[in-house]
Amino acid sequence: MLEAFANGFSGLLAGFLHLQISNVVMIIVGCVLLYLGIKKDFEPLLLVPIGFGCILVNIPLANLMEPHGFLRTIYDAGIMTELFPLLIFVGIGAMTDFTPVLENPVTFLLGAAGQCGIFLTLALALTLGFTKLDAVAIGVIGACDGPTAIYVTAKYAPHLLGAVSVAAYSYMSLVPVIQPPIMRALTTEKERMAVMRATRKSVSKTTRLLFPLVITILGGLIAPMGLPLLGTIMLGNLMRECGAVERLTKASANEIANVVTLLLGISIGATMDGKIFLQTQTLIVLALGFIAICLDTACGVFLGKFLYVASKGKINPLIGAAGISAFPMSARVVMKEGQKYNKKNYLLMHAMGANAAGQIGSVIAAAVMLSVLKGMGII
Amino acid sequence: MKIELTSPIPGKIMKVLVSLGDVVNEDDEVMKIESMKMENPIYAPAAGTITAIGVKENDEIEVDDLLLVIEVAS
Amino acid sequence: MDKWTFGVTMLVVGMGGTLLTLGIMSLIIALLKKIFPYKKEE
Repeated sequence: MLEAFANGFSGLLAGFLHLQISNVVMIIVGCVLLYLGIKKDFEPLLLVPIGFGCILVNIPLANLMEPHGFLRTIYDAGIMTELFPLLIFVGIGAMTDFTPVLENPVTFLLGAAGQCGIFLTLALALTLGFTKLDAVAIGVIGACDGPTAIYVTAKYAPHLLGAVSVAAYSYMSLVPVIQPPIMRALTTEKERMAVMRATRKSVSKTTRLLFPLVITILGGLIAPMGLPLLGTIMLGNLMRECGAVERLTKASANEIANVVTLLLGISIGATMDGKIFLQTQTLIVLALGFIAICLDTACGVFLGKFLYVASKGKINPLIGAAGISAFPMSARVVMKEGQKYNKKNYLLMHAMGANAAGQIGSVIAAAVMLSVLKGMGII
Repeated sequence: MKIELTSPIPGKIMKVLVSLGDVVNEDDEVMKIESMKMENPIYAPAAGTITAIGVKENDEIEVDDLLLVIEVAS
Repeated sequence: MDKWTFGVTMLVVGMGGTLLTLGIMSLIIALLKKIFPYKKEE
């Protein structure tokens, strides 16, 4: 009888006995993520489930990530299969208005320049000793786009998924802090004050419908490895622009995106087991991710300066900073900064164009990257 | 001399901070427009008197819609 | 393949490919806008 009591009671104590330092630290990390999401408004839709998933997976003996554990089931269903980031992408396409890009196709180039940080950081990661595929996953933080980063990392460097996701989403929130100093440092006062007038140009419905088709087919032919990403975001956009499937568009942008975001968040948090996350390389990944976004901003602004000269002062180089995929945070930052230097300057629409172009740019960059890797036989 | 202030961004008028007849200085804030979930301040393009206001609170506006007219003091 | 070759290839072909692809896309969109211009009635 006594033995039964003792055994039964030990079942209640076992959790405490198996708690390791790494678990405690990660539970604290999870709490920090919750704090950042709830109190500091850092991408709460992702950081709250990630933070909580992180806490859950670091409470010992629950086996949530073991086969048949509920977190493992969610992870296998959506992250291993890549369905989660892709479904969110349909929602993003359904929510995004690409008209500012279509009105001024030159912004595509800004969206391209804003992705330079990806490749530069990839090279930097290689020199620091990371393996080729690890470097790819680290570089893709510079895409500044959650689903893209998750798609690439889950497939090719799943052990880095926690670090890359936390980096990607945290830095997206930090864009208002990271970008302005770089924007200021790389531009002259005269350049910053260049006024850009918005014009009520508009784009025909036909063009808006053909845009997602053209991008998908052309992009898919050039970079087939990225077609899942490209196809899903353009599907969302096509649904939005055609107006014939409003129920589907609404569902993609709302219900589907919300449900999947929740599941995505908890499964990413579930990968943050202390033994995997608490290594020096995690800190280096976080640092490199930060550098990636700084480089993105710098390259975007540099191209902006080139366009300023080429357009004889008509294009304000600050909008180059919006060429990253942090939509629409970066556009808002550019608008605020532009107005700081010249109250008569309302860069919002132009920055929105660059920002939306950055969204496309980041998908194309990831697609190209993966296809080049495939060509080289590395994946 | 009349100067027309037209909207540089699409959105919704959040607040009109001036009234007909008000005298404003260049770069004074004259209204707030909500666009892209952001509160955007709009500044006077020149110093003068407000002779016309083309919008009111909660109006949905497009780029180039007339916001107000300023008569510049000579 | 050594890391140096890999890194430079990714930088040149990857970044170059991205710029080129987006450049081509911007040209096609400009073309589309010419073929299907905006009409006020829409």
